[in-house]
Amino acid sequence: MNLDALNISWLHPGLVLILGAWILPLLRGWARRALMVAIPAVAVVICLGMTKGTYGEVSFLGLEVVFGRVDQLSLIFSYVFSIMALLGMIYALHVEHNSQHVTALIYAGGALGVTFSGDFISLYVFWELMAISSALLVWQSREPGAGRAGFRYLLVHIVGGLILLAGIVLYGSENNNSFAFGNMAALEHTAAWWLILLAFLINAAVPPLGAWLPDAYPEASVTSAVFMTAFTTKSAVYVLIRGFPGTELLVWLGAAMAVYGVVYAVLENDARRLLAYHIISQVGYMVCAVGIGTALALNGAAAHAFAHILYKALLFMGAGAVIQMTGRRKLSEMGGLYKTMPITLTLYMIGAFAISAVPLFSGFVSKSMIVSAAGEQHLMWIFLTLTLASAGTFLHTGLKLPYYMFFGKDSGLQGKEPPTNMLVAMGLAAAACVVIGVVGLFPSLLYKELPYAADYVPYTLHHVTATLGMLAFTALGFFLLLKHLDPEPKISLDTDWFYRRGSAVFVRSFQQPLARFESGYVGKICDFVILQFVLRVAGLLRNFDTRIVDFSVVGLGRLTQALSQILKTTVSGNVQHYALMMVAGVLVLLALAMIVR
Amino acid sequence: MTYPALTVITFLPLLGAAGILLLGRGQRARWVALATTLATLAAMAPLCSGFDKTKSGLQFVDLVQWISMGNVQINYQLGVDGISLPFIVLSGLLTLLCVGASWTAIRTRDREFYAALLLAETAMIGLFAAANFFLFFIFWELMVVPLFLLIGIWGGSNRVYAALKFLLFTLAGSVLMLVGMIALQVATPEAGLNFKQLTGTTLDTTLQIWLFLAFLAAFAVKVPMFPVHTWLPDAHTEAPTAGSVILAGILLKMGAYGFLRVALPVLPEAVQIFLMPMLIISVVAIIYGAYVTLSQTDVKRLIAYSSVSHMGFVTLGIFTLDQRAVEGAILQMINHGIISAALFLCVGMIYERTHTREIKDYGGVAKTAPIYATLLALFCLAAAGFPGLNSFVGEFLIIGGAFKTNPWLGAMAIWGVVLGTTYLLWLYYRMVIGEMNPGLQGLKIELTARETLTLAPLAFLALYLGLHPECVLSYLHIPVSELPNIIATP
Repeated sequence: MNLDALNISWLHPGLVLILGAWILPLLRGWARRALMVAIPAVAVVICLGMTKGTYGEVSFLGLEVVFGRVDQLSLIFSYVFSIMALLGMIYALHVEHNSQHVTALIYAGGALGVTFSGDFISLYVFWELMAISSALLVWQSREPGAGRAGFRYLLVHIVGGLILLAGIVLYGSENNNSFAFGNMAALEHTAAWWLILLAFLINAAVPPLGAWLPDAYPEASVTSAVFMTAFTTKSAVYVLIRGFPGTELLVWLGAAMAVYGVVYAVLENDARRLLAYHIISQVGYMVCAVGIGTALALNGAAAHAFAHILYKALLFMGAGAVIQMTGRRKLSEMGGLYKTMPITLTLYMIGAFAISAVPLFSGFVSKSMIVSAAGEQHLMWIFLTLTLASAGTFLHTGLKLPYYMFFGKDSGLQGKEPPTNMLVAMGLAAAACVVIGVVGLFPSLLYKELPYAADYVPYTLHHVTATLGMLAFTALGFFLLLKHLDPEPKISLDTDWFYRRGSAVFVRSFQQPLARFESGYVGKICDFVILQFVLRVAGLLRNFDTRIVDFSVVGLGRLTQALSQILKTTVSGNVQHYALMMVAGVLVLLALAMIVR
Repeated sequence: MTYPALTVITFLPLLGAAGILLLGRGQRARWVALATTLATLAAMAPLCSGFDKTKSGLQFVDLVQWISMGNVQINYQLGVDGISLPFIVLSGLLTLLCVGASWTAIRTRDREFYAALLLAETAMIGLFAAANFFLFFIFWELMVVPLFLLIGIWGGSNRVYAALKFLLFTLAGSVLMLVGMIALQVATPEAGLNFKQLTGTTLDTTLQIWLFLAFLAAFAVKVPMFPVHTWLPDAHTEAPTAGSVILAGILLKMGAYGFLRVALPVLPEAVQIFLMPMLIISVVAIIYGAYVTLSQTDVKRLIAYSSVSHMGFVTLGIFTLDQRAVEGAILQMINHGIISAALFLCVGMIYERTHTREIKDYGGVAKTAPIYATLLALFCLAAAGFPGLNSFVGEFLIIGGAFKTNPWLGAMAIWGVVLGTTYLLWLYYRMVIGEMNPGLQGLKIELTARETLTLAPLAFLALYLGLHPECVLSYLHIPVSELPNIIATP
């Protein structure tokens, strides 16, 4: 490698995280905890202090590899990734297993690497690093389902990574061996374009390729899941913004994703799985915005990614705290915790308001950018779909989940506030959500940080009233339909039978088949397609190898052996036989000689 | 003072073997073997430092007039160029590591064992250093003897069958190679079977086709290519650890090296004719080998079959005739030598303790043996082609060349990498992660210092070659560009 061009004044924050992680196992006690917080804090400081430019250009195999492409887009993602690494580490301070921290830091470092890579080679390296480290994160959980879930997760990401590799190789050969990573519009609809897009969409958890997300995230441990929500999908959003802005396919995919996530969340009883489906829904907003492609939309995608990482982490932290302190994962087993875990409840609700785009919280600022961009481009169906998904989001994350977790029936669980470090992490994330929401009141402060030039005012009377109206009606609908969203419905016959029946039919019409399809899809079909089918083919080919290919050659040997057994009988040891054979042989030769003559 | 460096390096192990056989009883054999292999490796240092990467042709040539009868002139000639030097160094290194791995594993007839190992080393180095076909053939045949003994005497429960199978397969191919060699000598009497001189001659196309088929028989068995690969799983599985390392690390490369040294330079037209079939067989080997690997329940057999798949990549790269892909294929040969040697060493070390090769008897090793788990993880990831580790570079170059030749080949190669990653990571998962298998309770699985020291150079090389592949690739640019019909990189 030719390191002459390396600008030593720039330090890759991802490298700080990846290398710093390996020092952790060498320390103990408070020194270890201090380092756990210090490493990502150093990364945050580096990111905040970075100046734009291109750094870390290295020549590898005659190809130009750029490790440090620093512009506004990569800066904004780097801020939120490094802050997230810090929050996640604070949240996990109480965990004793070092392997989890090392893996989580490497994972975060990989995400930063993806953010700053200026070419496909470095992108691929960090992409694979993220895949392996996140799979390891799932595997380190003690849950019984973690082993298989982690393996499925790993396979999906390995296949995705190799699709990316195929796309990269094709890209290079179409581009005279230049692997620079930028807007791919010039290569639209070529094989390389499709393959790279497909690989990015797998990581963004676009259905039907996104089944790995709700499958694996609930199996990770409480603290690992917080890390996992942030990096894989949002780095996929980053590379989509970078490489595929304005691709029309993404508009429809994104809108479908937004609704898909919300619809599947209806069926969920496991708290974190519900939240995982909401990740798909929110990423759908971002994907849709990338597809719309206007400056406002791309700003919205970046801003929404920023806000989403923070509030989603907060939601997972809150749900995780409840799971850790009560030992329960399923909503039907929880309830009545508001008495014993009020701080957790409050912080969780801040996250819930943020995801629901309540004014004065971060989600409002970013989501309204996206929805307005859709409106500006006159994509009316998209506008309606995204608004519908917003309602659904508020319904589940803002109302249903906290209701069943903290209110609702008294499950008799004895909750307790989680350890201080977890509360501190949640508090910081909550503060960030509020700060971003309030900063939105001062648009000029906001636009300094966004990558594309646009002017947009989130807090117009129109936006605020529209949002508040939508939220209010959703809340009304929730409380009216409360009994039907209950994870364990109890039916009691009285005068509301008619309208309850009608809505129950509606709910059941998609609940039954979809629920069976969903659990079959994720669990059984993936298992079947990936493992069973491949293993059957492998077994068939092994039998072919043993019984036919090998057998034929070994058969040749056995044939030779059989032949030699027969020929052995001529060697009788009897001299008369030999003399007879010699005379016979001479006679035969004489006869032949005479015939030939 | 100039001395015949290559002759010394080639025959020093033979001297060591003779010395061991003259020793009395006692455990001194392994020390003599250790000293000899260290000395051989040390003697290679001036070779590496004195090698001029910008010169084409052989360097460090040892030439002695040998057979002269009429117009037949065959000399004893050894020499290295950029392609053979990395293999010679690899041979020296792997033999040293074999001595380290067999230190406590071989208890009975250890003198004969180490003597056989050193004889094998002579044969390996001699083969790569041979400058004419005659010596090449001699060392090719010589290689079979010690390995037959290693498998047949110190091997596993089915060793005699495996050793015989190995012997018969290899000899069947070698016989045809002998015929081809004689035909070549008759067709070009003045060349004296010297590789460099043969490269210039143009032979009749029909003759080339027959010669290619004859040599193909020998090389295809050694590589091994589908469908003559079935000796490999049995041989690798039944061999002792050192035997597997030598087999997988060096022996397989001899076949591909034969293609590079004999088939490509001497028979260019035949290569062009057989190009597509060879590419297709390579891809079949990749995919078929990977699928069969997935279904294995014996860990050594699994790694053995994975060699079929990986060597498929190598032959795929060679027959694309694209310079970068050929360089990648040669690099991949070195990488595979390092990685499969490492994997067999890991398996052999744990087998010494558990005496079972069935994967289902393992599980949860990570809890009691973190060093072993980390090293095994490194080698599994390296074998899977994880970027930053050595195999990635080779695979990347080969896949690039494959795509240029035919996009379907590239797609199949990518699928091969997917399967490869799957079976390796699944193996790792079953062996290392998860709950500890009750059968392993009470066993001290963690590696001793000697074992860690044996694996350390391979781990270092896996990382170093992954980040700095130029250190091997720089040797290859000139000799690969001189092969006929190579599509050079612009």
